[in-house]
Amino acid sequence: MPLTPRTTPLSLTDAAHLLRRTGFGATEAQIHALVGRTPQAAADELLTFSAETLPTPFQPLGAVSPGAAIKLMQAAWLREMVLTPHPLRERLTLLWSNHFVIGTDKVKNVSALEGYLSALRTHALGRFGDLALAAVQTPAVLRYLDNDQNKKGKPNENLGRELLELFTAGIGHYSENDVKEGARALTGWTYQGGRGNKQFAQPQTFTFNARQHDAGVKTYLGQSGQFGGEDIVRLAAAHPATADRVAFKLWQAFVSDAPDPAGQAALADVLRQNGGDLRQTLAALLGSQDFYAATGRIIRSPVDFVVGALRASGRQDFSEKTYLSLTTSLARLGQELLHPPTVKGWDGGREWINDGTLLLRMQVAAALSLGQPKNPALSSVPPSALALLGRPDLPPAFAKLGPAQRTYLMLVSPEYQLL
Amino acid sequence: MNRRDFLKLSALAVSVTSGVPGFLARAAAQAGGDKTLVVIQLTGGNDGLNTLVPYSNGAYYAARPHIAVTRKDVLTLNADLGMHPGLKPLMKFWDAGQLGWLENVGYPNPNRSHFASMAIWHTADPTQAASDGWIGRIAQTIGDPFCASNIGNATPLALQAADFSLPSLSSVDSFQVKLPAGVQGAFEAMLGEPRQGEAAYLQQATKQMLLNTARVQNNLGKYRSGAQYPEGKFAASLQDIARLIAGGNGQRVLYTSLGSFDTHAGQRAEQDELLGELAAGLAAFQADLEMQGLADKVVVMGFSEFGRRVAENDSAGTDHGQGSVMFVLGRGVKGGIHGDSPDLENLADGDIRYKQDFRGVYAQALDHWLKLPSPQILGGQFSGPAWLN
Repeated sequence: MPLTPRTTPLSLTDAAHLLRRTGFGATEAQIHALVGRTPQAAADELLTFSAETLPTPFQPLGAVSPGAAIKLMQAAWLREMVLTPHPLRERLTLLWSNHFVIGTDKVKNVSALEGYLSALRTHALGRFGDLALAAVQTPAVLRYLDNDQNKKGKPNENLGRELLELFTAGIGHYSENDVKEGARALTGWTYQGGRGNKQFAQPQTFTFNARQHDAGVKTYLGQSGQFGGEDIVRLAAAHPATADRVAFKLWQAFVSDAPDPAGQAALADVLRQNGGDLRQTLAALLGSQDFYAATGRIIRSPVDFVVGALRASGRQDFSEKTYLSLTTSLARLGQELLHPPTVKGWDGGREWINDGTLLLRMQVAAALSLGQPKNPALSSVPPSALALLGRPDLPPAFAKLGPAQRTYLMLVSPEYQLL
Repeated sequence: MNRRDFLKLSALAVSVTSGVPGFLARAAAQAGGDKTLVVIQLTGGNDGLNTLVPYSNGAYYAARPHIAVTRKDVLTLNADLGMHPGLKPLMKFWDAGQLGWLENVGYPNPNRSHFASMAIWHTADPTQAASDGWIGRIAQTIGDPFCASNIGNATPLALQAADFSLPSLSSVDSFQVKLPAGVQGAFEAMLGEPRQGEAAYLQQATKQMLLNTARVQNNLGKYRSGAQYPEGKFAASLQDIARLIAGGNGQRVLYTSLGSFDTHAGQRAEQDELLGELAAGLAAFQADLEMQGLADKVVVMGFSEFGRRVAENDSAGTDHGQGSVMFVLGRGVKGGIHGDSPDLENLADGDIRYKQDFRGVYAQALDHWLKLPSPQILGGQFSGPAWLN
C-alpha cells in the first residue's frame, strides 16, 4: 500500500502541525501564512534549502581547551536551529547525527565536528547512499569508530560492524563474515592532522592510506570483488533492508514514536522506488494523510522542547550566554548535542521522560517564560496557544493569567511535550 | 514544603487512576525490601594496581619506576597487598571487616574504549548488544521507576530501562517543584483535564513526579545527620544518598560517580587526590549511616570501566588497560581480599588477565542483598566470590 496523498488545503491546525514537526515550532504569523496551501506545495517549499549557515558569534577555534571548544560548537548549533530560515534542514541534521552517531567524548577536534555537521547538512536531502558515504568519510566518524586503527592485516572492525548494524541494513541482514570483509575493505581510510586532545584546533582531513589498505578480493553481502571502502558503503546502503531502517527512523522523527509497520513499509517502498532519494521520500511523507492524521504522537526531545519555545516566540536573537546555558540545559535534559549516550544514539519517545527530566523541563520553562535577572525571557513576545500547542484557543484555566504565566503553563502542559 | 502542601500535591497526583500506563500503576506497591545498594562509578579507568598495591611483587616496581606506591607508603593489608595511602580513611573499615576488595575483575574480549567499556559495565553485556542497563532491568523487574536513582546530572546507561529512564537528581534539595507565584490553581486545573494517548501518559508521569518530589521533600525531615562530610561534589552526593535512604523513600539502588581517573600523564598527583576524595567521602557516609542506625541496611559497591596498563608510560602515567579491582563496603560485607592477585609476569598484551567476571559480582548483590533474580537481570547465571555476609 503506497502512502496516500492528502489533498485538502491546510487548515490552521494543519499548518501548525506541519511547522512543529518540520521546524521545531513557528510563530502565529508563520502558521497563518501556510493556511490554504496544498500539503504538497507547503512540503515542497520546506524541502528547498541550501546548506549555508548563518554567521555565528561563536568561535571554537579560539577556545582554551577542547572541552570549551565543544561547548561553543554545541551552542553555535543550537543558535543555528533557533535562527535559521531553514529549520527542517537542522532537524534533519539532528536526525542524521542520531543515525551516523559520533560522540565528543572521542571526537574533540573542531574541524572534524564542523566537517561532520557540514556533511550531514549538505546531504540531508540527497540520496541516502551519498549521505552514508559522506558521513562515513568524515574524520569524526573515522575517529569515533576507530577506523584510523583499521590496517591491513590488523583489522579493527568497529566501523565495518556499525556500518551494517546501525547505519544501513541492521541486525539479521548480514553475517559476521560480512563484518570482517567490510572491515578489510575499509582498511586505509583514516584522517590527517589534529591528533591528540591538544590539537583540537588543527584541521583534520580524510585521507586514504594505500599502504595500509588490503587490496585483496572480498565477498560482501553476496558480491565479490577487490572492494574498497567506497564500494562496501554503497553496497550496504543499497541493501533492501536499509530502506526499512531509514524509513523507520523517518517515521519516528516525523510521524509517531509508536511503530506502524504498514506505514513504514509504504515509506520504505517510496525510498526504494526513488533510489534512496531522501527529498522525494520526505515530500511523499510530508504530503501524506498519515503525516497529518498523526497528531500528538511524538514526545518532544529536549531540543524540540527548547528550540520549539524559542522559535514560537519569534524573537530574533538571544545572548551568547543564553545559548551556552541552554546547551547545558539540553545535556541535563538528556540530549547533549553531538554526544548521544552510545553509538546507537538516543531512542527518544518515553525515554526522554523521567522524574528528573520532567522537573528540569518545568525549571527550563520557568526560565524561558518568566526570565531571570541576566537572562531575558520570551515574555516580551509571548507565543500564542496556536504556536505552542497547535490549538487556536487558550485553555480556559489560563484566562485570568498574565502572558508570562500563560506561557509557563503551556510549556509545562502535557500537550506541549508532544509534537 | 509544609505538610498541607504535600497532601495537596499527593491528592493531585493520585486523582487520576484509570488509564494509567502499566509501569506507573505497578509502582510503589512492589518496591519491597529494605536493603539499599549504593553503586559508585569511578569514571575514566581507575588504576587498580595503584589502588590495591602488590607491594611484595618486584614485577610491579619494575614496571612502574616512577609511579609505583612505595612499600613504606602502602597501608598494609596482608603480606602481599596494601592500599594506596590516600585510602587511609577506609582503614578502620578494613580493620572492622567491613571492606572487601575483589581482585582481577573484568570481562571477556576487553574493550579499551572508555565509552564501549563503560557501556559494557552498564548493560552487563560484553557483546554490546543490550541497550538497557542492569539497574534499569532491576526497575523493570520491580515495576517502579523510582526504585533507583542517579545522583548527578545525566542518567547513566546503567539506569536506562527498556520502557522508561530512571531519574537523575542533581541534588536532593533541587528535587522539588517550585511553581511560579500565582499559577497554582491554573496549574492544577490544567493537569486535571482528562486526556488520552501519549498526553495521558505525560499527565500521569507529571503527577507521579509531583508525588515523588513531594514525598522526598516531606521525608527529608527524618534525616538527622551528625556526620561531618568533606567539601566537594562527591561527598555532597553521598550525603544526598544518605538523606534519601534515611527518608525511607523506598529506593533500592542509588548511584553516583566520581571522575576523572583517566591518568595518562602525571598519574600520581591526579589519582592520589581522587582516591583521597573517594575515601574521605565514603568514611563520612559510613559514619553517617552508623549514627542514624542505617548501617545494616546499606552496602556500597564500587567499580571502574577498566584498569590501566601494568607498565607506566613516558609521561609518568598509564594508558588504558583491562581488568581491575572492585571494592565493597558496609556492615553487610564480608571484609577481606576476594580472589587472587594478578600475575604480573603473565600479561595479556601488557595488561593483567581478568579472572572474575564482573557479572558474578553483580549477581551477589542481586541475589543476596537485593533479593532479586540475577539470571533474569543479567541474562545468565554468573557466580562470584561470596562478598556478602
